[in-house]
Amino acid sequence: MIRHFRELYQYRGLLISLVQRELKARYRGSILGFFWTFLNPTLHMLVYALLFTVVMRQNIPNYAFFMFVGLLPWIWFSSSVGAGASTISDRRDLMTKVRFPAQVLPTTVVATNLVNYVLSLPLMLVLGAFYGVWPTWHIVAFPLVVAIQLVFTLGLVYIVSAVNVTFRDLQHIVQNLLTLGFFATPVLYQASTIANAEARTLLTLANPLAILITSYQAIFYEHRLPDGLPLLSLAVASVGLLWTASWIFESRREDFAESI
Amino acid sequence: MDAIVIRDVVKRFRKRTIRGEYTTFKSELLRWLRGQRQPEEARLITALRGINLTIPRGKTMGILGRNGSGKSTLLKLITGIYAPTSGTMEINGRISALLDLGAGFHPDFSGRENILINGIILGMSRAEVRERMDAIIAFSELGDFIDEPVRTYSSGMYMRLAFAVATHVDPDILIIDEILAVGDEHFSKKSLAKMTEFKKQGKTIVLVTHDLQTVSNWCDSAAWLDGGRIREVGEPAKVIRHYQQALRLAEAQGTPLTAPALSPGGGALPALQGSETSIATVSGTQEANAPLPVELVSVDLVAPTGETGVVVDTEQGLEVRVGFTTRRPLSDAGFAVDIRREDGTQVYATNTFLESVPLPEPLPEHGTVRFVIERVGLSPGRYTLDVSARSSQGTAYSNGLQPSTFEVRSPIGGEGLVRPPHRWIIEPGAVPQRSAAS
Repeated sequence: MIRHFRELYQYRGLLISLVQRELKARYRGSILGFFWTFLNPTLHMLVYALLFTVVMRQNIPNYAFFMFVGLLPWIWFSSSVGAGASTISDRRDLMTKVRFPAQVLPTTVVATNLVNYVLSLPLMLVLGAFYGVWPTWHIVAFPLVVAIQLVFTLGLVYIVSAVNVTFRDLQHIVQNLLTLGFFATPVLYQASTIANAEARTLLTLANPLAILITSYQAIFYEHRLPDGLPLLSLAVASVGLLWTASWIFESRREDFAESI
Repeated sequence: MDAIVIRDVVKRFRKRTIRGEYTTFKSELLRWLRGQRQPEEARLITALRGINLTIPRGKTMGILGRNGSGKSTLLKLITGIYAPTSGTMEINGRISALLDLGAGFHPDFSGRENILINGIILGMSRAEVRERMDAIIAFSELGDFIDEPVRTYSSGMYMRLAFAVATHVDPDILIIDEILAVGDEHFSKKSLAKMTEFKKQGKTIVLVTHDLQTVSNWCDSAAWLDGGRIREVGEPAKVIRHYQQALRLAEAQGTPLTAPALSPGGGALPALQGSETSIATVSGTQEANAPLPVELVSVDLVAPTGETGVVVDTEQGLEVRVGFTTRRPLSDAGFAVDIRREDGTQVYATNTFLESVPLPEPLPEHGTVRFVIERVGLSPGRYTLDVSARSSQGTAYSNGLQPSTFEVRSPIGGEGLVRPPHRWIIEPGAVPQRSAAS
């Protein structure tokens, strides 16, 4: 684990350059260019807002803002895991020709999507201001929630990317699980509206993403501190996951060049 | 201190990774349902079978061997892309490998942006790349194109840019896999000059190439890799000679040249008999170790003037005198001659069976074969002549003598391989009309 992150630190120059390149490459050649960073989640949000405020009415005030608060971190998570699955298996050119720590590749995916998330935060705040919702002092808890999500996502992406090298079905399985996860996570609806009490407890406490998303909603939408206990347990579990993930990654790493 | 020390390194691959079959849910399920468990051994392919090699600091070593003998696997092990199955590798110094040019190039980015990423991937820091940016751009000779997307480059420009980055990494140990021939003649010269500079700076270079000329001109020593083992290490000229002899011998014996890693015995080339050096551990061909029935004692090239020179004129004749002894009576023996240009191009090969030459049966215990060429008829240049004894089926009855070399000179230039007897005639008069064929 220590070697894993020490090498990552040694290759931080590569990591930074790759993240920069990914951010630039994503919209290179398009006319609106970097604006797509903002345009994509906005259009995403408009579709859901139309669906849930006009077609299927939800009784949530400032629904568009509420949804945006949860949608942005969900996009960070799902894009990271979705793209992270094939990040090593798609880079045969690098893995078989150059020696460099493979963990840079999945880390780049997670970091790139984190930057995208951070860049779209002002958009969320502007939307809040449009509805007259201003951030309160509770945002002090925000960096902590982001940090927990980062650790959790990194751990998951390390495992998924390492296993996908030999078991290619995983990238397709992951895509479908993400779709399921989106609806099992209270992004479009409030967790409190789940009628069945047992299902509600299961969905909100056993689903790490639900804990994270409801924490973001608590900070920005409900103006309170997130629930401490679930968040702290998730923090501990995430560190454990990252530890295990880097161990799995390291033990599989020597096979990467031969297997892809 | 030595730059690279490799001890008893063995590398095995699992077969499915070589065949490119991936484990999928379906394949795993099917295998499980059928209850198939292939034995672990059968699923392994051994690419390297115990390599011991030491490369001293500041030396240039060339690695030879035919396709599939394990050269690239060895380089990937040295570079650290693969880990050895067993054995140890000791690498002292920063290593840079030019296994592939342009690793990580992104087609939509400009040359300048790609230099940055590629340089960092090859092991430079961001600051180092920025510092060397101008030198790299100058070396690549791309001019204004450096700010255009790489996808608009011609393949020559692409290679030049990639090579420029790769050679500016400034490593202690440089690993090169068959990429010196980049670009046009002018750029090749520049690349060679860069390599010379590396050598002068006392850097260690490991070079894999099929261009034997490069090895003999460039390397301080050569290692011949055959069937996953080191067959010989030493003076480049000597190693190259033995390598070429073994290749020719394999051709003459009709040994199928399959991929060594896939052949059971390791697919090593046949052993050379009676050459001046003892050649390290060869296995796989038992009959090569038994003494062959004919020994060629001497091969002399004699010019018609009587001198045993190695320089003849195109229009002159040449006689080859081969002294032989037989170890047992042979009734099915003949002799073969193979003439090649220096670069290996075959000029002419024949044997006594093809030409139905009556030979005494059995062959006398001692004797001389004379192969008389009335007129050499070759273009000026250096040639080798190889004589061997064989059966009518092509089984080698002799080996071991080095091919003799001779030089052809001619007052008249002329290009190509041969100079057929010819004359020019000019006849005045009307041009004969050709029938309108078009």
